[in-house]
Amino acid sequence: MDKERNKTISWSEVLRKYGTAIGTVIMFIIFSLVVDRFFTFRNLFMLLRQMSMLTIIACGFTFVMAAGGFDMSIGNVTGLVSMIFTIVLVSTSNFFLSVLLALLVGLSVGLINAMLVAYINVPDFIGTFAVGSVAYGIKMLLTKGNPIFIKNPPEIFTFIGQGYVGAIPFPVILMLAFLVISIFILHKTKLGRRIYAIGGNTVASVYAGINVKWYRMITFLVSGLSVSLAAIIMTSRLNSGQPLAGENFLLDVIAAVFLSTTMFGEGEPNAMGSFVGALIISMLNNGLTMLNVPYYFQYITKGMVVIAAVMLAVVMGQKLRVKF
Amino acid sequence: MSFIDVKEEILSTRNLGKEFNDVWVLNDININLKKGEIHSIVGENGAGKSTFIKILSGVYAPSKGEIIINGQKVKFTDVKESEQMGIRTVHQEINLIPFFNVRENIFVGAELEKKVMVVSILDKKKSAEKAKEALDTLGVELDLNKYVHKLDTSMRRIVQICKVLVGKYEVIIFDEPTTTLGGNERRRLLEVIMNLKKQDAGIFFISHNIDEVLEISDRITVFRDGENMGTMLKKESTVNKIVSKMIGHKSYSDFKRKPVTGKDKIIFEVKDLNTEKLRNVNFKVNEGEVVGIAGIVGAGKTEIARAIFGIDAVESGEFYINGKRYKPKPGNSVKKGIALVPEERQEQGLVLNMDVKKNISLAYLDQLGSSNIIDFETEKNTAEKLIEYLKIKTTGPFQIVKYLSGGNQQKVVIGRWLSGDFSLGIFDEPTKGIDIKAKEDIYHQIDKLAHKGKGIIFISSFLPELINITDRIIVMKDGKIVAEFDPRQNTETEIMIAMLGGDNNG
Repeated sequence: MDKERNKTISWSEVLRKYGTAIGTVIMFIIFSLVVDRFFTFRNLFMLLRQMSMLTIIACGFTFVMAAGGFDMSIGNVTGLVSMIFTIVLVSTSNFFLSVLLALLVGLSVGLINAMLVAYINVPDFIGTFAVGSVAYGIKMLLTKGNPIFIKNPPEIFTFIGQGYVGAIPFPVILMLAFLVISIFILHKTKLGRRIYAIGGNTVASVYAGINVKWYRMITFLVSGLSVSLAAIIMTSRLNSGQPLAGENFLLDVIAAVFLSTTMFGEGEPNAMGSFVGALIISMLNNGLTMLNVPYYFQYITKGMVVIAAVMLAVVMGQKLRVKF
Repeated sequence: MSFIDVKEEILSTRNLGKEFNDVWVLNDININLKKGEIHSIVGENGAGKSTFIKILSGVYAPSKGEIIINGQKVKFTDVKESEQMGIRTVHQEINLIPFFNVRENIFVGAELEKKVMVVSILDKKKSAEKAKEALDTLGVELDLNKYVHKLDTSMRRIVQICKVLVGKYEVIIFDEPTTTLGGNERRRLLEVIMNLKKQDAGIFFISHNIDEVLEISDRITVFRDGENMGTMLKKESTVNKIVSKMIGHKSYSDFKRKPVTGKDKIIFEVKDLNTEKLRNVNFKVNEGEVVGIAGIVGAGKTEIARAIFGIDAVESGEFYINGKRYKPKPGNSVKKGIALVPEERQEQGLVLNMDVKKNISLAYLDQLGSSNIIDFETEKNTAEKLIEYLKIKTTGPFQIVKYLSGGNQQKVVIGRWLSGDFSLGIFDEPTKGIDIKAKEDIYHQIDKLAHKGKGIIFISSFLPELINITDRIIVMKDGKIVAEFDPRQNTETEIMIAMLGGDNNG
C-alpha cells in the first residue's frame, strides 16, 4: 500500500514540476501540425521577437510578485513611456537623452507605486491600478490620443527593435539578457533571497531584521525598469509612439507570471517560469492569429488560461501570495 | 447552608475530558453552575480553561464525559447548537463591525425583520426597543446610533454582551473580559457583569486577575494541568489559597542552571521606555545573566521584546547595547547585536515554505560572502553544523521547514541567531507548545549562551521554567514593572501573587 502511495506521489510530483512545460510542448506540436507556416524559422523568430517585450515585463513583474506584491500599472505605463520616449526623440533627435528619460519615467512610476504600496500601505491592487489610470490619462493628454510617427529615425533606434545580431533579432538578445540577470538576482543574490522571504512571510522577515519596505520598493523599481525597456523596444518596432500599444500587456503578463508559479516545482513566481509562461501566451497569440481566429476569441482564451493557471496553483496547494 | 446552595443548577459536567494526540489537556472535570451565580475559573496558561470553554461552546467535541443542562444530557456538534441550548460566550476578541452603529452590531446575524407587502425589511423600531432593553438590563446608557469605532473598549465589550442578551441565554461564559481595560473601564464592566446575575443566568467568569475574581465571584474553581483542583466559596478563598492550588506541576523538567559568576559588564540597558502599552520600563541585563520576564497574558511582556527589537513604535526611552546607544529598528538592532526569538514561531519566526538552511541564514545573510552573491557552500555547511549542534530532527538543510515538528521549528529559529554573533538574546516564550525533550535542549542552549557571556532576556508565562533558568525575574503588570525577584530566594507563590496583582494582599 505504501508502494502504491509512493507511486502516485511521484506521478503528481512529475506533473507538478513539469506539467506546464509538457503542456507547452504539446501546444507547440499541435500548432505546428495545424497551422500552416507556424513551424518555420521565420515565424519562430517572429514569435521570439514578439514575446521579448512580454518576457521582459513578466520578469519585472516576477520580482514584485515574489515579494508578495502586485503591479496593475504595467500596461498603461508601457504606453506612457513609449509616448514620452517618442516625443523626446522627435523633438531633440537625441537618442540617448530619450532613452534616459524613458528609463526615468518607468523608474519614477515604480517609485510612486512603491511609496503608495510599501510605505503608505495602500493595497497593491488599488494603488497600482490608480497609478495606471493616471498614466493612461497623461499619455492621452500628451497627444490627444494620436500616434506620433518617427521620421528619419537614428539607426541605433531602429536597431533596438528591428536589428539582428547574426541571425538573432536584437530584442531577443535583450530579452535573454534581462531573463538571465533576473534569474541570477532572484536565485543567487541576497537581494533575491530577501525578496522571496518577504513574499513567503512578511512578518517573519521583519523579525529577521529585513527592511521590508526597502526591498518591496526595489521590486517596484525593477518592474518600472522592465516596463521602460519593453516600451523602448516596442516603439522601435512600431517606428512610432502608439498611445494604445501595450494595453494588452497587463493580462498577458499576469497570465505568464501565474503560469510560472505552476512550473519547476517552486510554487512561487520565478523568472524562468515567467519566460515559459510568456512563450505559452505568445504562442497562443501567434497561432490563433495565424488561424484567423478573431481577436475577441483570443481574449476569451487568454482569460481562461489565467483562470486555469490560478486554479492549478490553488489545486496544487500552493499558497497564492497576492493579497486581494 | 448559604442561600447559594439552594439555587437551581443550570449546568453541570460529569468527567468531562479532551484528548489531543494522546495528551489529556482536560481530564475528569466535574463542575456545576447555578442560576444567578458567578462561578470563576482560574488557572495558569495551559491549565485547560480555554479547552473547557471551547467544549461548552461547541467548538470541540469532548473526548469523554457528559454535559448536563437543566437535568438533560446534551451533545452539540457545533457552535450553533450550543448557542441554541442557551450557552453563550463573550469572547476575548471583540468582533464588531466598526462602521455599523451599536444597534446594527447587536443584531448582526440575528436581524429582526418585518413584512411590508411581500418583502421582508429590517425592523429598526423593534430592534431599537430590544437593544434598549438589553442595555437597561446592564444598567448602561448608550446611544444606539453611535458608530462602534467611536466607542472605548469597555463599551464595545458591552455591545458584545448585548448581542448575547437579545437572544436566548442561560449560561454566559466570559473569557478574560477585562484584559486590555484600564481602571475605570474595568470597574464599569465588572458592575455590568454583576447586574447580569439578576437575570437568573449562570455565569462562568474566566480571568487572570485574582482581585476581580475575588470581588465578583460566588464560587471559584481552580484548574491545573487539565484537572479540577477544587471549588471553593468566595468567603473561604484568599489569594494565597487560590495560588497554592494553581501552582505545582506534575510533569516538569528538573533542569536547573548554575549562574555565571564573576561577570558584571552591562550588556543591555533600557531607560524610561514608554510605548502605547508600556509605562516607564527600566532594566539592565549583565553579561552572562539570564533575566526572566513574568506576567499574565496582556501584561506587556512581549511588548518589551518588540520595543527593544524595534517592531513597535517607541514614544520615549533610551536603549543601550554594549554601552552604546542604539535606535531600535529591526535591521539596526540585528546589526548592533540583538537577537529575537519571537513568540509565534510560525507567524513571526519562519518562512514556512523555505528550507532549513534558508531560514537559518535569513538574519545574518550579509555574513555569507562579502559581495551580494550568496556563498551557498558556507550557507549549507553552517546549516549542517547547526542541525547537528541543536539536534534538529530533519532530513537535512534542504527540507522545507513547514514539515518539521514544533520543537524542531523552534530550534531552526534559534539556529538562525546562533549562526551569527549577538550580544543580547531575547527569547519570547521559546518553549511554548513543544515537547519536553526539545524544551530541555533549549534550556541547555540558553545556559551555554549565558556562559559564553551573552545577555539573555527570557520571557515566559510559565513560572516554573523561569524559576529554574533565570538569575532574576522581573514581573510585569499592566505594562509596568511591578516587582523583581530572585528565583533562588523567592517562592513561586510570591511571584505568582505579584503577577496576579494581589494589590490588597488578600
